[in-house]
Amino acid sequence: MNKLTAKIFVIAALALLLQTAQAFDFGQELRNAARELQKPGGSANLGGYSEEEEVAIGRQIAGNLLGAAPLVQDKKLQKYVNNVGRWVAIQSERPDLVWHFGVIDSSDINAFAAPGGYIFVTRGLYKLLNDEAELAGVLAHEIGHVISKHHLKILQQGKMLDLGSKLLGKQVGDDKIGRLIGSGAEIVSRSLDKGAEFEADRIGVVLAARAGYDAYGLPGVLQEIGHTAADDSSVALLFKTHPHPDDRLAKLGEAMDSRFDGLNGQTAAKRLYKIK
Amino acid sequence: MKFYLLFTLFIAGAAQAAESGTTVKTDSVRSAPFSDAKIITTLPAATRVEILKKDGGWYQIKSPQGSGWIRMLSLRRGDVKAATGPISGLASLASGRAGTGKIVATTGIRGLNEEELKAAHYDEKQIALLESSTSSRVEAQKYAAKARLKARQIDYLAEPGASK
Ligand SMILES: [Zn+2]
Repeated sequence: MNKLTAKIFVIAALALLLQTAQAFDFGQELRNAARELQKPGGSANLGGYSEEEEVAIGRQIAGNLLGAAPLVQDKKLQKYVNNVGRWVAIQSERPDLVWHFGVIDSSDINAFAAPGGYIFVTRGLYKLLNDEAELAGVLAHEIGHVISKHHLKILQQGKMLDLGSKLLGKQVGDDKIGRLIGSGAEIVSRSLDKGAEFEADRIGVVLAARAGYDAYGLPGVLQEIGHTAADDSSVALLFKTHPHPDDRLAKLGEAMDSRFDGLNGQTAAKRLYKIK
Repeated sequence: MKFYLLFTLFIAGAAQAAESGTTVKTDSVRSAPFSDAKIITTLPAATRVEILKKDGGWYQIKSPQGSGWIRMLSLRRGDVKAATGPISGLASLASGRAGTGKIVATTGIRGLNEEELKAAHYDEKQIALLESSTSSRVEAQKYAAKARLKARQIDYLAEPGASK
Protein backbone atom coordinates (compact mmCIF):
# COMPACT_ATOMS: atom_id res chain seq x y z
CA MET A 1 0.00 0.00 0.00
CA ASN A 2 1.49 3.34 -0.92
CA LYS A 3 1.37 6.30 1.42
CA LEU A 4 -1.61 7.99 -0.19
CA THR A 5 -3.72 4.87 -0.34
CA ALA A 6 -2.80 4.19 3.25
CA LYS A 7 -3.84 7.68 4.24
CA ILE A 8 -7.15 7.47 2.41
CA PHE A 9 -7.76 4.08 3.94
CA VAL A 10 -7.11 5.35 7.44
CA ILE A 11 -9.32 8.41 6.94
CA ALA A 12 -12.12 6.27 5.59
CA ALA A 13 -11.79 3.81 8.43
CA LEU A 14 -11.78 6.64 10.93
CA ALA A 15 -14.84 8.26 9.42
CA LEU A 16 -16.64 4.99 9.75
CA LEU A 17 -15.49 4.54 13.30
CA LEU A 18 -16.36 8.05 14.34
CA GLN A 19 -20.06 7.42 14.35
CA THR A 20 -19.51 4.57 16.73
CA ALA A 21 -16.88 6.46 18.64
CA GLN A 22 -19.26 9.11 19.90
CA ALA A 23 -20.66 6.64 22.36
CA PHE A 24 -17.35 6.08 24.06
CA ASP A 25 -15.38 8.43 26.24
CA PHE A 26 -12.34 8.30 23.99
CA GLY A 27 -14.35 9.39 21.00
CA GLN A 28 -12.88 12.84 21.36
CA GLU A 29 -9.37 11.47 21.11
CA LEU A 30 -10.22 9.64 17.95
CA ARG A 31 -11.93 12.70 16.50
CA ASN A 32 -8.85 14.77 17.24
CA ALA A 33 -6.70 12.23 15.47
CA ALA A 34 -9.04 12.23 12.50
CA ARG A 35 -9.01 16.02 12.33
CA GLU A 36 -5.24 15.94 12.50
CA LEU A 37 -5.13 13.48 9.64
CA GLN A 38 -7.27 15.60 7.38
CA LYS A 39 -5.04 18.64 7.69
CA PRO A 40 -2.54 19.11 4.85
CA GLY A 41 0.40 16.85 5.65
CA GLY A 42 -1.63 15.53 8.53
CA SER A 43 -0.58 11.94 8.31
CA ALA A 44 2.98 13.05 9.02
CA ASN A 45 1.75 15.10 11.92
CA LEU A 46 0.33 12.46 14.13
CA GLY A 47 1.93 13.33 17.42
CA GLY A 48 -1.46 13.70 19.03
CA TYR A 49 -0.32 13.14 22.61
CA SER A 50 0.05 15.71 25.32
CA GLU A 51 3.60 16.20 26.54
CA GLU A 52 2.62 14.51 29.78
CA GLU A 53 1.42 11.42 27.94
CA GLU A 54 4.48 11.43 25.72
CA VAL A 55 6.80 11.49 28.74
CA ALA A 56 4.83 8.73 30.46
CA ILE A 57 5.15 6.56 27.36
CA GLY A 58 8.88 7.32 27.02
CA ARG A 59 9.53 6.64 30.68
CA GLN A 60 7.93 3.23 30.43
CA ILE A 61 9.96 2.36 27.33
CA ALA A 62 13.16 3.66 28.94
CA GLY A 63 12.50 1.59 32.06
CA ASN A 64 11.98 -1.49 29.94
CA LEU A 65 15.17 -0.84 27.97
CA LEU A 66 17.09 -0.42 31.22
CA GLY A 67 15.68 -3.75 32.27
CA ALA A 68 17.55 -5.30 29.34
CA ALA A 69 20.73 -3.25 29.72
CA PRO A 70 21.28 -1.25 32.92
CA LEU A 71 23.21 1.99 33.17
CA VAL A 72 26.99 1.73 33.30
CA GLN A 73 27.85 2.15 36.97
CA ASP A 74 29.78 5.38 36.70
CA LYS A 75 28.04 8.44 38.08
CA LYS A 76 30.54 10.87 36.54
CA LEU A 77 30.05 9.36 33.12
CA GLN A 78 26.26 9.59 33.39
CA LYS A 79 26.41 13.18 34.57
CA TYR A 80 28.80 14.04 31.76
CA VAL A 81 26.50 12.73 28.99
CA ASN A 82 23.57 14.57 30.59
CA ASN A 83 25.49 17.84 30.58
CA VAL A 84 26.52 17.43 26.95
CA GLY A 85 23.16 16.05 25.83
CA ARG A 86 21.06 18.71 27.50
CA TRP A 87 23.23 21.46 26.04
CA VAL A 88 22.62 20.07 22.56
CA ALA A 89 18.89 19.60 23.25
CA ILE A 90 18.62 23.24 24.31
CA GLN A 91 19.41 24.12 20.69
CA SER A 92 16.27 22.28 19.52
CA GLU A 93 12.60 23.28 19.46
CA ARG A 94 12.11 21.58 22.82
CA PRO A 95 14.71 23.17 25.10
CA ASP A 96 12.53 22.88 28.19
CA LEU A 97 11.61 19.24 27.94
CA VAL A 98 13.26 17.39 30.82
CA TRP A 99 15.80 15.42 28.79
CA HIS A 100 17.46 12.28 30.17
CA PHE A 101 20.61 10.71 28.80
CA GLY A 102 22.33 7.49 29.78
CA VAL A 103 25.14 5.15 28.81
CA ILE A 104 23.89 1.57 29.01
CA ASP A 105 25.99 -1.48 29.67
CA SER A 106 26.08 -3.28 26.35
CA SER A 107 29.00 -4.10 24.09
CA ASP A 108 26.71 -3.52 21.11
CA ILE A 109 27.30 -0.40 19.06
CA ASN A 110 24.01 1.45 19.15
CA ALA A 111 21.99 4.38 20.44
CA PHE A 112 18.31 4.62 21.26
CA ALA A 113 15.65 7.27 21.65
CA ALA A 114 12.28 6.99 23.33
CA PRO A 115 9.53 9.65 23.22
CA GLY A 116 9.60 12.40 25.79
CA GLY A 117 13.37 12.90 25.75
CA TYR A 118 14.87 9.57 26.91
CA ILE A 119 18.13 8.90 25.10
CA PHE A 120 20.69 6.11 25.46
CA VAL A 121 24.09 5.28 24.04
CA THR A 122 25.66 1.86 24.51
CA ARG A 123 29.05 1.45 26.14
CA GLY A 124 30.19 -0.13 22.83
CA LEU A 125 29.35 3.01 20.88
CA TYR A 126 30.70 5.34 23.56
CA LYS A 127 34.07 3.59 23.38
CA LEU A 128 34.33 4.40 19.67
CA LEU A 129 34.14 8.13 20.30
CA ASN A 130 37.21 10.30 19.81
CA ASP A 131 35.93 13.61 21.14
CA GLU A 132 32.97 15.41 22.70
CA ALA A 133 31.77 16.68 19.30
CA GLU A 134 31.24 13.07 18.24
CA LEU A 135 29.23 12.37 21.39
CA ALA A 136 27.21 15.52 20.73
CA GLY A 137 26.57 14.37 17.16
CA VAL A 138 25.33 10.93 18.22
CA LEU A 139 23.05 12.37 20.92
CA ALA A 140 21.83 15.01 18.47
CA HIS A 141 20.72 12.33 15.99
CA GLU A 142 18.62 10.77 18.77
CA ILE A 143 17.31 14.18 19.84
CA GLY A 144 16.26 14.54 16.21
CA HIS A 145 14.10 11.42 16.52
CA VAL A 146 12.44 12.79 19.65
CA ILE A 147 11.66 16.27 18.32
CA SER A 148 10.39 14.78 15.04
CA LYS A 149 8.34 12.31 17.10
CA HIS A 150 9.40 9.45 14.86
CA HIS A 151 8.70 6.67 17.35
CA LEU A 152 5.63 8.38 18.75
CA LYS A 153 4.11 8.38 15.28
CA ILE A 154 4.59 4.62 15.01
CA LEU A 155 2.88 4.21 18.37
CA GLN A 156 0.11 6.57 17.36
CA GLN A 157 -0.60 4.58 14.22
CA GLY A 158 -0.62 1.41 16.28
CA LYS A 159 -2.96 2.99 18.79
CA MET A 160 -5.43 4.01 16.15
CA LEU A 161 -5.57 0.53 14.73
CA ASP A 162 -5.87 -0.80 18.24
CA LEU A 163 -8.63 1.64 19.15
CA GLY A 164 -10.39 0.69 15.96
CA SER A 165 -10.34 -3.01 16.68
CA LYS A 166 -11.40 -2.45 20.27
CA LEU A 167 -14.31 -0.34 19.11
CA LEU A 168 -15.47 -2.90 16.65
CA GLY A 169 -15.16 -5.64 19.19
CA LYS A 170 -16.78 -3.35 21.78
CA GLN A 171 -14.19 -4.28 24.33
CA VAL A 172 -12.74 -1.15 25.77
CA GLY A 173 -9.78 -1.54 28.06
CA ASP A 174 -7.91 0.89 30.21
CA ASP A 175 -4.39 -0.52 30.29
CA LYS A 176 -3.26 2.33 28.11
CA ILE A 177 0.49 2.49 27.93
CA GLY A 178 1.24 -1.17 28.30
CA ARG A 179 -0.91 -2.13 25.36
CA LEU A 180 0.33 0.82 23.40
CA ILE A 181 4.04 0.15 23.49
CA GLY A 182 3.83 -3.60 23.12
CA SER A 183 6.20 -5.81 25.00
CA GLY A 184 9.43 -4.66 26.60
CA ALA A 185 11.44 -2.11 24.69
CA GLU A 186 10.66 -3.59 21.31
CA ILE A 187 9.74 -0.19 19.94
CA VAL A 188 13.36 1.06 20.10
CA SER A 189 14.42 -1.83 17.87
CA ARG A 190 11.70 -1.10 15.35
CA SER A 191 13.02 0.21 12.04
CA LEU A 192 11.90 3.67 11.11
CA ASP A 193 11.70 4.47 7.44
CA LYS A 194 14.99 5.49 5.86
CA GLY A 195 13.75 9.03 5.38
CA ALA A 196 13.32 9.43 9.13
CA GLU A 197 16.91 8.31 9.72
CA PHE A 198 18.33 10.68 7.13
CA GLU A 199 16.22 13.45 8.66
CA ALA A 200 17.58 12.68 12.14
CA ASP A 201 21.11 12.83 10.69
CA ARG A 202 20.49 16.25 9.16
CA ILE A 203 18.98 17.52 12.41
CA GLY A 204 21.89 15.96 14.30
CA VAL A 205 24.68 17.82 12.51
CA VAL A 206 22.80 21.12 12.79
CA LEU A 207 22.02 20.80 16.51
CA ALA A 208 25.63 19.88 17.30
CA ALA A 209 26.88 22.81 15.24
CA ARG A 210 24.38 25.16 16.91
CA ALA A 211 25.79 24.01 20.25
CA GLY A 212 29.22 25.24 19.12
CA TYR A 213 30.65 21.86 18.22
CA ASP A 214 32.38 20.79 15.06
CA ALA A 215 29.54 19.78 12.74
CA TYR A 216 31.42 16.71 11.58
CA GLY A 217 31.18 14.76 14.83
CA LEU A 218 28.27 12.60 13.68
CA PRO A 219 29.77 11.94 10.21
CA GLY A 220 33.03 11.03 11.96
CA VAL A 221 31.28 8.38 14.03
CA LEU A 222 29.48 7.07 10.94
CA GLN A 223 32.87 6.73 9.22
CA GLU A 224 34.09 4.76 12.19
CA ILE A 225 31.07 2.46 12.28
CA GLY A 226 31.02 2.16 8.49
CA HIS A 227 34.24 0.26 8.32
CA THR A 228 33.18 -2.19 11.03
CA ALA A 229 32.60 -5.51 9.35
CA ALA A 230 28.94 -5.94 8.51
CA ASP A 231 28.97 -9.47 9.93
CA ASP A 232 30.17 -8.19 13.28
CA SER A 233 27.44 -9.01 15.78
CA SER A 234 27.98 -5.77 17.71
CA VAL A 235 26.45 -3.80 14.84
CA ALA A 236 23.79 -6.33 13.85
CA LEU A 237 20.84 -4.46 15.36
CA LEU A 238 22.11 -1.04 14.29
CA PHE A 239 22.61 -2.17 10.70
CA LYS A 240 19.19 -3.78 10.71
CA THR A 241 17.36 -0.70 11.92
CA HIS A 242 19.35 2.00 10.12
CA PRO A 243 20.52 2.52 6.55
CA HIS A 244 24.19 1.58 6.11
CA PRO A 245 26.55 4.29 7.40
CA ASP A 246 27.95 4.72 3.88
CA ASP A 247 24.47 5.62 2.60
CA ARG A 248 23.94 7.97 5.53
CA LEU A 249 27.29 9.63 4.81
CA ALA A 250 26.39 10.00 1.14
CA LYS A 251 23.10 11.71 2.05
CA LEU A 252 24.81 13.92 4.61
CA GLY A 253 27.43 14.81 2.01
CA GLU A 254 24.71 16.05 -0.34
CA ALA A 255 22.85 17.92 2.38
CA MET A 256 25.90 19.49 4.05
CA ASP A 257 27.89 20.13 0.89
CA SER A 258 29.94 23.24 1.66
CA ARG A 259 27.42 24.75 4.06
CA PHE A 260 29.63 24.33 7.10
CA ASP A 261 32.76 25.70 5.46
CA GLY A 262 34.40 28.31 7.61
CA LEU A 263 32.08 27.53 10.49
CA ASN A 264 34.62 26.36 12.96
CA GLY A 265 33.40 24.34 15.86
CA GLN A 266 35.03 22.74 18.82
CA THR A 267 35.80 19.07 19.14
CA ALA A 268 36.35 19.46 22.91
CA ALA A 269 38.50 16.36 22.61
CA LYS A 270 40.25 16.88 25.92
CA ARG A 271 36.99 16.91 27.79
CA LEU A 272 35.66 13.59 26.51
CA TYR A 273 35.12 11.49 29.61
CA LYS A 274 37.19 8.33 29.45
CA ILE A 275 35.08 5.31 30.14
CA LYS A 276 36.60 2.63 32.36
CA MET B 1 46.33 -5.54 34.15
CA LYS B 2 49.24 -3.29 33.40
CA PHE B 3 50.31 -5.68 30.70
CA TYR B 4 46.84 -5.60 29.27
CA LEU B 5 46.81 -1.81 29.11
CA LEU B 6 50.13 -1.63 27.32
CA PHE B 7 48.95 -4.29 24.98
CA THR B 8 45.83 -2.30 24.06
CA LEU B 9 47.79 0.88 23.50
CA PHE B 10 50.16 -0.95 21.22
CA ILE B 11 47.33 -2.36 19.14
CA ALA B 12 45.54 0.95 18.91
CA GLY B 13 48.71 2.51 17.55
CA ALA B 14 49.19 -0.25 15.03
CA ALA B 15 45.64 -0.02 13.79
CA GLN B 16 45.90 3.76 13.39
CA ALA B 17 48.96 3.53 11.19
CA ALA B 18 47.21 1.12 8.86
CA GLU B 19 44.14 3.30 8.32
CA SER B 20 43.22 3.64 4.71
CA GLY B 21 40.36 5.13 2.82
CA THR B 22 38.79 5.33 -0.61
CA THR B 23 37.43 8.39 -2.38
CA VAL B 24 33.73 8.14 -3.24
CA LYS B 25 33.76 11.11 -5.58
CA THR B 26 36.17 13.32 -7.46
CA ASP B 27 37.54 15.98 -5.17
CA SER B 28 40.50 18.26 -4.67
CA VAL B 29 43.32 17.65 -2.26
CA ARG B 30 44.27 20.94 -0.60
CA SER B 31 47.27 22.26 1.27
CA ALA B 32 45.23 22.95 4.41
CA PRO B 33 41.83 21.93 5.83
CA PHE B 34 40.00 24.90 4.32
CA SER B 35 37.88 25.18 1.19
CA ASP B 36 39.95 28.08 -0.12
CA ALA B 37 43.36 26.52 0.50
CA LYS B 38 45.62 25.85 -2.46
CA ILE B 39 44.73 22.80 -4.56
CA ILE B 40 47.55 20.26 -4.68
CA THR B 41 45.90 17.66 -6.84
CA THR B 42 42.51 16.27 -7.75
CA LEU B 43 41.68 12.66 -7.06
CA PRO B 44 39.09 10.71 -9.06
CA ALA B 45 36.54 8.52 -7.30
CA ALA B 46 37.70 5.13 -6.06
CA THR B 47 41.27 6.26 -5.32
CA ARG B 48 42.88 4.47 -2.40
CA VAL B 49 44.58 6.79 0.05
CA GLU B 50 46.19 6.62 3.44
CA ILE B 51 44.47 8.62 6.18
CA LEU B 52 46.82 10.43 8.54
CA LYS B 53 44.46 12.47 10.66
CA LYS B 54 41.15 14.24 10.95
CA ASP B 55 40.45 17.91 11.45
CA GLY B 56 36.80 18.89 11.52
CA GLY B 57 35.29 18.00 8.17
CA TRP B 58 38.66 17.15 6.65
CA TYR B 59 41.02 14.20 6.48
CA GLN B 60 44.74 14.65 5.97
CA ILE B 61 45.71 12.02 3.43
CA LYS B 62 48.69 10.59 1.60
CA SER B 63 48.43 9.31 -1.95
CA PRO B 64 50.86 8.69 -4.79
CA GLN B 65 49.24 11.61 -6.67
CA GLY B 66 49.85 14.01 -3.83
CA SER B 67 49.26 14.58 -0.15
CA GLY B 68 47.16 17.11 1.71
CA TRP B 69 43.61 17.61 2.95
CA ILE B 70 40.40 16.30 1.45
CA ARG B 71 36.77 16.71 2.56
CA MET B 72 35.74 13.99 4.98
CA LEU B 73 32.56 13.23 3.08
CA SER B 74 34.42 12.68 -0.20
CA LEU B 75 36.11 9.73 1.45
CA ARG B 76 35.09 6.51 3.13
CA ARG B 77 37.30 4.97 5.69
CA GLY B 78 37.76 1.38 4.87
CA ASP B 79 39.74 -1.34 3.25
CA VAL B 80 41.64 -1.31 6.47
CA LYS B 81 44.74 -3.33 5.86
CA ALA B 82 44.92 -6.01 8.48
CA ALA B 83 47.57 -4.68 10.79
CA THR B 84 50.56 -6.92 10.31
CA GLY B 85 52.47 -8.84 12.91
CA PRO B 86 51.61 -11.57 15.36
CA ILE B 87 50.37 -9.24 18.09
CA SER B 88 47.44 -7.86 16.14
CA GLY B 89 46.47 -11.36 15.09
CA LEU B 90 46.41 -12.37 18.69
CA ALA B 91 44.36 -9.37 19.66
CA SER B 92 41.79 -10.08 17.00
CA LEU B 93 41.49 -13.60 18.23
CA ALA B 94 41.28 -12.54 21.83
CA SER B 95 38.55 -10.00 21.19
CA GLY B 96 36.74 -12.20 18.75
CA ARG B 97 36.62 -9.37 16.30
CA ALA B 98 38.98 -10.39 13.54
CA GLY B 99 38.85 -8.28 10.44
CA THR B 100 37.64 -4.94 11.73
CA GLY B 101 41.02 -3.51 12.62
CA LYS B 102 39.61 -2.06 15.79
CA ILE B 103 39.03 -3.49 19.19
CA VAL B 104 35.73 -2.34 20.54
CA ALA B 105 34.72 -4.51 23.41
CA THR B 106 37.19 -6.52 25.35
CA THR B 107 35.25 -7.24 28.49
CA GLY B 108 31.90 -8.75 29.27
CA ILE B 109 30.60 -9.36 25.78
CA ARG B 110 26.99 -8.50 26.20
CA GLY B 111 24.89 -7.68 23.20
CA LEU B 112 21.40 -6.40 22.78
CA ASN B 113 19.16 -8.13 20.32
CA GLU B 114 15.51 -7.81 19.49
CA GLU B 115 14.50 -10.80 21.59
CA GLU B 116 16.19 -9.37 24.66
CA LEU B 117 14.56 -6.01 24.11
CA LYS B 118 11.18 -7.62 23.66
CA ALA B 119 11.54 -9.68 26.82
CA ALA B 120 12.83 -6.79 28.93
CA HIS B 121 11.03 -5.86 32.13
CA TYR B 122 10.57 -2.41 33.52
CA ASP B 123 13.22 -1.45 36.09
CA GLU B 124 12.10 1.37 38.37
CA LYS B 125 15.41 1.51 40.25
CA GLN B 126 17.28 2.10 37.03
CA ILE B 127 14.84 4.83 36.01
CA ALA B 128 15.42 6.52 39.36
CA LEU B 129 19.16 6.25 38.79
CA LEU B 130 18.78 7.70 35.32
CA GLU B 131 16.75 10.62 36.62
CA SER B 132 19.26 11.31 39.38
CA SER B 133 21.82 12.32 36.74
CA THR B 134 19.54 14.61 34.78
CA SER B 135 20.98 18.07 34.07
CA SER B 136 18.92 21.21 34.21
CA ARG B 137 19.07 23.79 31.48
CA VAL B 138 21.22 26.07 33.61
CA GLU B 139 23.58 23.27 34.60
CA ALA B 140 24.10 22.33 30.97
CA GLN B 141 24.71 25.94 29.99
CA LYS B 142 27.33 26.31 32.68
CA TYR B 143 29.05 23.13 31.63
CA ALA B 144 29.10 24.27 28.01
CA ALA B 145 30.57 27.62 28.99
CA LYS B 146 33.47 25.84 30.69
CA ALA B 147 34.57 24.56 27.29
CA ARG B 148 33.80 27.95 25.72
CA LEU B 149 31.01 26.43 23.66
CA LYS B 150 28.82 29.19 22.30
CA ALA B 151 25.37 28.68 20.83
CA ARG B 152 24.89 29.98 17.32
CA GLN B 153 22.07 30.24 14.85
CA ILE B 154 22.13 27.74 12.01
CA ASP B 155 19.19 26.75 9.81
CA TYR B 156 18.14 23.16 9.46
CA LEU B 157 19.35 21.41 6.32
CA ALA B 158 16.95 20.78 3.48
CA GLU B 159 16.41 17.24 2.30
CA PRO B 160 18.72 16.68 -0.69
CA GLY B 161 16.79 16.76 -3.94
CA ALA B 162 13.68 18.22 -2.30
CA SER B 163 12.22 21.19 -4.13
CA LYS B 164 13.15 24.47 -2.52
ZN1 LIG C 1 18.25 6.71 14.20
